[in-house]
Amino acid sequence: MRILDLAYILGLGAGLGLVSAHWAVAGRPAVGKVEVGSWMAWPGSGSRDVDPYMRAYLARGVHLPLGAGEGLQLIAARSDDGAPLDGRCRYRISGSVPTTRGWTLEVTDAAGRPFRLPLERASFTDAEVVRSEDGALAIMAAAPPQAGNWLPLPPEGRFQFRLRLYDTPVSGQTGETRATNLPQITRVDCR
Amino acid sequence: MSAVDHGSALLPAEESPPPAARPPLPARRRLPQRLRAAATRLAMTTLAGLMLAAIVHIVTILLIPALSQRDAAHAYRLLGAEGHAELVPLAASPGGMPVLQEADPNEVTAVCGYDLSAGPVRVVARTGTLPLGLTLHRQGGGVIYAITDRAAIRGVLEFLILTEAQYDERVANDEEGETSRELRVVSDSARGLIVARVLAKRPSDRGDAEALAASVRCGPVE
Repeated sequence: MRILDLAYILGLGAGLGLVSAHWAVAGRPAVGKVEVGSWMAWPGSGSRDVDPYMRAYLARGVHLPLGAGEGLQLIAARSDDGAPLDGRCRYRISGSVPTTRGWTLEVTDAAGRPFRLPLERASFTDAEVVRSEDGALAIMAAAPPQAGNWLPLPPEGRFQFRLRLYDTPVSGQTGETRATNLPQITRVDCR
Repeated sequence: MSAVDHGSALLPAEESPPPAARPPLPARRRLPQRLRAAATRLAMTTLAGLMLAAIVHIVTILLIPALSQRDAAHAYRLLGAEGHAELVPLAASPGGMPVLQEADPNEVTAVCGYDLSAGPVRVVARTGTLPLGLTLHRQGGGVIYAITDRAAIRGVLEFLILTEAQYDERVANDEEGETSRELRVVSDSARGLIVARVLAKRPSDRGDAEALAASVRCGPVE
């Protein structure tokens, strides 16, 4: 009975410990996440004192996160109404972008890879976007072609928007950024 | 004698309240007691298992960065041996270097691995018109230094990477009464990566961006 107890303790400890550790760092960890509107950021990932979970996540693949003074990556997996981003829907990205030397907006899968679509346009940079007369930003993301700044989406399935801000003062104070200072993601309609 | 009398007199008085359940009591009590003992034992062993699981969880999380052989520091360690940063592959090629994950397709990344066991490393970058960022990634995780081309002096970004001991030695060798103008970055790990990133805002900028990123020089201090 004693051996049975010991085996139970060891099995439970090793199994649960390893599985929970794997589960905690299989994706971007919840520790250190900052949410602004529908955007998520991990500002600690590019600092000297990166937390152990982020460090473990980054070490499990070939990652070179943006440095804290270099830029900031924001990820959105949901639109502003809380629904997960889906390729069958049309999305309008509008509003303002914080002061930067440059920004890029990319459509990726959950692992951060661009989709292989017939049209090679996985992202927009601030120099490529056509703006209206008042300087407002308006990007349409949809699978079928759209007028204006069209960002093609996969025909169906989940995807993410990744907004990267380069050389921005926001990176040091991500938690205090208001949602109105970041682009809004509005779901227009769905097929 | 009187004490025994008291005991024998008290005992039946205490157990008297359920007189009807008296005859089958020993057999009934044995089973719940054994069940209770087993439940206590299960609870204790489960608690011990959970505590062990917490320890295993924490140790695993802390060990992953130290033991990982698939991270960027190992994948790109050999880049930059020729004294300048080398471009990281954008697409996977058989037998080639692993692709950088979660990379911006509009950005050109060049890497130079450093090893401070042979002495301090000097990094010199000339800036261009495109946004350039330089970061130092320590082996085992963490960005120890980040600088952009806005901090360049007369179009040149230059800094020294040293260990703590090399830094102390360099400070001791400084001319007395003179302030040194060189930028010194202390790395607490001997190995790491110097990463140069240039943003190509238009597809036509890509050639310039690649040339700018690969022109970052990194080598031993003469």
